[in-house]
Amino acid sequence: MSHFDEMTGLLYLESQLDEENARGIAAHAASCAECRELLRALETEGAWLRESLAGEDEAVPGRLTAAPERNAAPWGWISALGLSAGGAYTLWSGFVEPWRAQAAQAGFTQGNLFTMLFFSGAFWKGWDAMRSLMEFSAVAVLGVLVMWLLRRRWRSFPTIAVIMGAMICSLTIPSVASAAERKHGDPNYTLPAGEEIKTDLIVFADHTQINGDIDGDLIAWSRNVTVNGHVKGDVIAFAQELRVNGAVDGNVRAFVQTLQLNSTVERNVMAWVGDVNLDEKARVNGTMTLGAGQVQLDGQVVGDLLSYSGDANVNGLLGHNAMIHAGHVTIGPRADIKGQTKVEAHEQPEVSPSAKLASPYEFTLVKRGYERNYSSARFYWHQVLLWGASFVFGLVVLLLAPGFFFDTERACRKTGQSIGFGLLFLFATPIAAIIVCITIVGLGVGISTLMLWAIAIYSAQVFVGAWLGERILGEGVGIGPALGRLALGLVILRAVGMLPYLGGWISFVVVAWGLGAMALALYRYMRPQLAPAI
Amino acid sequence: MERRKTTGEMSAAEIAEVLTQVRAGDADAWGELYRMYAPAIFRFCRRALPTREDAEDATTEVFMKVRQKLGTYDSSRPFTAWLYKVASNHCWDMLRRRRIRQDLETGDLETLPLEHPDPGQLERLQAEHGSREVRRGLEKLPDRARMALVLRYFADMSYDEIADTLGVRRAFVGVLLLRARHQLRDVLAGKEAALIRGAAGGKA
Repeated sequence: MSHFDEMTGLLYLESQLDEENARGIAAHAASCAECRELLRALETEGAWLRESLAGEDEAVPGRLTAAPERNAAPWGWISALGLSAGGAYTLWSGFVEPWRAQAAQAGFTQGNLFTMLFFSGAFWKGWDAMRSLMEFSAVAVLGVLVMWLLRRRWRSFPTIAVIMGAMICSLTIPSVASAAERKHGDPNYTLPAGEEIKTDLIVFADHTQINGDIDGDLIAWSRNVTVNGHVKGDVIAFAQELRVNGAVDGNVRAFVQTLQLNSTVERNVMAWVGDVNLDEKARVNGTMTLGAGQVQLDGQVVGDLLSYSGDANVNGLLGHNAMIHAGHVTIGPRADIKGQTKVEAHEQPEVSPSAKLASPYEFTLVKRGYERNYSSARFYWHQVLLWGASFVFGLVVLLLAPGFFFDTERACRKTGQSIGFGLLFLFATPIAAIIVCITIVGLGVGISTLMLWAIAIYSAQVFVGAWLGERILGEGVGIGPALGRLALGLVILRAVGMLPYLGGWISFVVVAWGLGAMALALYRYMRPQLAPAI
Repeated sequence: MERRKTTGEMSAAEIAEVLTQVRAGDADAWGELYRMYAPAIFRFCRRALPTREDAEDATTEVFMKVRQKLGTYDSSRPFTAWLYKVASNHCWDMLRRRRIRQDLETGDLETLPLEHPDPGQLERLQAEHGSREVRRGLEKLPDRARMALVLRYFADMSYDEIADTLGVRRAFVGVLLLRARHQLRDVLAGKEAALIRGAAGGKA
């Protein structure tokens, strides 16, 4: 018999050969030193592997000391609910309640609270004091997050030193140098007439008055902003009231409660406002895009007008097309619209006989609120399209990140824990993002976070749908079965979501559930590998 | 081959008694059973799965399954063997679900040539590397190779059981084990590049 190969030797040692072959191997090995040596080496290796794998140098983790009970409340569920409750309380007491009180003081009713939250809430008196607190809060939140992620390294003092050092550094690091001139700390900032700033101006103040000229952009975070001078760049304002009396060579971008334009803006105006008023002497040479409660346009807009508002009153010159979406629309006697006029409103617009329209206006009646027309085929077709979109999204996620997809789907099994964490992230993420936006890290990071948050909210249905499909059809392996289960799960979720009243709540739970599952899956990826291999 | 003893102190009759009590819903007996076997199952999962956290999760989930499926346990078979079977199925399922290119790995393994080992070199490798290094090296292997070694040399499973767990033909188990041994040798010898080439597509 010739020499046997390693495979045959292994099978012989593991008693996997039939009797005849085994006898042949044994006989050959008895007379062949080379093959005998191979058998001995393989046998030793087998024993070495057994001994190595049997070694015990890693203690059983503490969390495994108690037997799992199906009815036991998981720690994560309890802590997540606790955190959610704490987060909700913090949200209310730290943010909503002060704004509400501020609104009430300023004469705003509860109905305007929403507008206040978005357009002027953060800019009330005392903002400067709050900024420091928020900076500290942001650093503290980041620090707690890092400590949480590295909690298993607590025994390592150098790690603690690094984290604490980083936190201290982040609080003491001076502002990044930039070309812009920054003003904050003064409750009333005034740029005197006759003075000119040759760069961008960024102002944090209660009251900001620009009487001089700015050869750059004006970015203001303030309660009141009044621009009497000449701004050669853009005006970007986050304020309760923005009043523009001087010329602006660039754009006006406003996130304010009240916008009053009395002068010429050479480029475009984009505003998210409570009330906007374009004075009859005012002129916008570009387009005007508005999201507002109340719109009063008496001046000129050379470009297009796009307006989404509660009430819209057009009584000036519009040089191009007008697209007005509003609850109530009035086109006054001095209105002169040179282009097409499209109106989408809850009722017929009031058009003065004296108004000049280049062509008859197009009117579309918009129903109030979101009314589901269950008898309309279009409604169901719309649902099918939405299902298709979510399925394609799920397909892309599955193909691009199959590991994450399956891990998240698996995390969905921990229902209570996922929903608890989901609720936490659902509410905490926008708060954190807003804090990041207005404090040390920057607008870009904050907005990116908000966008990721929005994507995550949309993704939630995909993972819950995949989990649901698997619950119904059983476990499967590979892309094909996963897609089938995803499709079925999404169909069910969409069907349930169509239920009147209940559907909305179910969709909300699905969002929280999926969001929490994603957080758990991501946490799994991020948590440190500390234990030595065993 | 004698299966590894996990319980040590308990006889088969005592285990059977505990299992009867667990089936009857005795929480204390369930706790006792868990304390008895959890360390062994954790070590099994720790070797079969790439991370400690995965092993912790898997251990808990395995025992949840054990509790659900205890009614299907055939008491004529050793309980430890059944327990390892549940654990290995669970771990392999976890690994498979994270991987969608598994078929590619099988194909590669069947066609890859094996170098004939030098017995002297093999002995030197064993002498130079301790148990801990072997376990660390195990973590770097592709899922299927790691699983095969753990099932065979830790859980003492037969070729039939391994084939059943991994969903491969019985005749392929020997190839799988030999290939896994080669891959482990390569890792320990610092030839991980060869391992990566060999397992291309195997670890998604």
